[in-house]
Amino acid sequence: MTAGSASATSIRRRLLLFLLPPLTLLMLVGVLINYRTATIFVRAAYDQKLADIARSFATQIQQGKPTPSVAPPGILFSISTPGGQTLAGRPGLPAAASGSAPLTYGDANLSGQDLRLATYRIPEAVITVAENDASRPNPGRFILASNWLIDFIQLDIILLIVWIGVHFGLKPLLALRRQIEARSARELSPLDTAPVPAEVRPLIDALNLLFELHAGAAQAQSRFVADTAHQLRTPIAGLLGSLQVLMREPAAAPLQSRLASLYEGVSTLSHSANQLLALARADRSTTLNDGFGKTDLKSAVERIVERNVDRAVECGLDLGAECSPANVEANARLLDDLLGNLMDNALKYTPSGGRVTVRCGYDAGRPFLEVEDDGPGIPESERPRVLERFYRIPGSAPGGCGLGLAIVDEIAKQHDARLSIESGAAHRGVRINLLFPAVRASAAESANRVAS
Amino acid sequence: MRILVVEDDFLVADAIRRGLCMSGFAVDCASDAEQAAAALAAEHFDLALLDIALPGSDGLTFLRRLRNAGTHLPVMILTARETLATKVQALDLGADDFLVKPFEQSELAARCRALIRRSNLKSSGQLTLGKLRIDITGRQLYIDAEPVELTNREWLIVECLALNAGRIVTKERLQQAVASWDQAITPNAVEVHVSRVRAKLGESVVLRAVRGLGYRLDEPR
Repeated sequence: MTAGSASATSIRRRLLLFLLPPLTLLMLVGVLINYRTATIFVRAAYDQKLADIARSFATQIQQGKPTPSVAPPGILFSISTPGGQTLAGRPGLPAAASGSAPLTYGDANLSGQDLRLATYRIPEAVITVAENDASRPNPGRFILASNWLIDFIQLDIILLIVWIGVHFGLKPLLALRRQIEARSARELSPLDTAPVPAEVRPLIDALNLLFELHAGAAQAQSRFVADTAHQLRTPIAGLLGSLQVLMREPAAAPLQSRLASLYEGVSTLSHSANQLLALARADRSTTLNDGFGKTDLKSAVERIVERNVDRAVECGLDLGAECSPANVEANARLLDDLLGNLMDNALKYTPSGGRVTVRCGYDAGRPFLEVEDDGPGIPESERPRVLERFYRIPGSAPGGCGLGLAIVDEIAKQHDARLSIESGAAHRGVRINLLFPAVRASAAESANRVAS
Repeated sequence: MRILVVEDDFLVADAIRRGLCMSGFAVDCASDAEQAAAALAAEHFDLALLDIALPGSDGLTFLRRLRNAGTHLPVMILTARETLATKVQALDLGADDFLVKPFEQSELAARCRALIRRSNLKSSGQLTLGKLRIDITGRQLYIDAEPVELTNREWLIVECLALNAGRIVTKERLQQAVASWDQAITPNAVEVHVSRVRAKLGESVVLRAVRGLGYRLDEPR
């Protein structure tokens, strides 16, 4: 998924995208309208002042009082006869164009100054009162300065409210996301629907149904594995046991070699059945979350060594361990399968007189498991293939079914462990190493402390 | 030593019976829980091997019945179902051991001996291991009925190994067993004591060093 499509599908982004720009535009238009109306009102107020002066002059003239000769500071005026002869005030002051009403307004430029005019026409005279535009406090700037600030603060607050609103509105979704993120891939219990918003509810219901189906399938699979195990193992146990007993009976002495090959055949059958079951057990769909927990690698190593000491002695091998305490988040049963297979390979392929060592501990904070032998090793060209199911290295000893390392690989994947196959010390034998993800720092530290 | 095998599969029961007879045990077979109950009521047994999947009342139910009746008879569960849950449940119900089918006859015989050894220890305070007789309460070791002189630390090592016969005893554990509260002991010193013990025990038992882990005391096979 590209970053572009990710942003397009983010509800938060979409909400903010659809809300914030139109709101900002709306606020700007509001500011502009405020500015325009304020300008008109301020101008009207100043014009009213000019009109009042003009009217008071007119009143004086109509009452026969002397023609006014003084105006308030900053105000220019001229009083002329309707014929155009100046009676008082500044000569040359233009009059506003006449209109239907006796009082009209206009703009003029007199010797470089922009003037606002109000002209009042009475039968006796034409009275024009003017004011320099520049001497009027600029209504625009004034209004702008005050309103702009208020509007700006208002805009900010609204944007903040929208942002907070979106954040809180999406909170249930984020909580759901966290709930899903916190689950491991194996977790199949239904999601909690209580905090889920109604809009997302159908989605979660569908997911929960899917989880339920999947968990059911996994359970059926693991039941099948258990049933198969029982059905296969009981007769195999009977056959193997009977053959072992038979081989020890003196009467069977002449048939010894035939019994031995029969026994070997049943052993291979037993091994294959066990390996297939181990592989099924290691399968991702059957290993749900149950059985995973903090597991001590050292005791797993001790168990596997204990179980194989006799076999190693019979094979003339020196089996040993080099382990320090280490904890992993693992399924102990699968870990036993994994170690059992590595051990089985090492004991099977290392010639008598060889040395097999199992190791565990921490490598740069990450728990590891390792089995090393000094047998024939695995040629570098074969290493990628040995993890394939049923693959056997050409010319290798009989008795295996080619599933051992496939099981190891499957279990390693289940535990997010990195599997590496290398040559052993002095380029002899094989060393198979599993590097697990680091456990929580506190656990690793305390284990390290115990180790030191 | 007498063992009751409760197993409904004829081939398996027969193989176990013959195998254990060859290893010197007396063996009786029962094919379901009712037969087993009748056999246990009539005779004395030192150990019962119990299959889980029995017709009628299953092995775990039978085990619960035994333990509820206050029977201390050692019980080893034999099963083809090796889920961890089953194992935990069996051990919780009071099973003494758990063996998954198919198994080696030699492994079965060794585990049977270990269980009977432990149960005898409980009743008599004595342990028998091959030619060794270890009188835990009397703190005395005999080889072929001859008393063997041991220093205090050698005795502690023999005791610890014998109580865990068949299992690996780590060096740290021996170190703890041997160290007294005022005297620490180094791993090297443990090795020295173990080699002295080994010399005194001779060929009567197998004392095996497991590289990097510890020691294991076993009967000779």
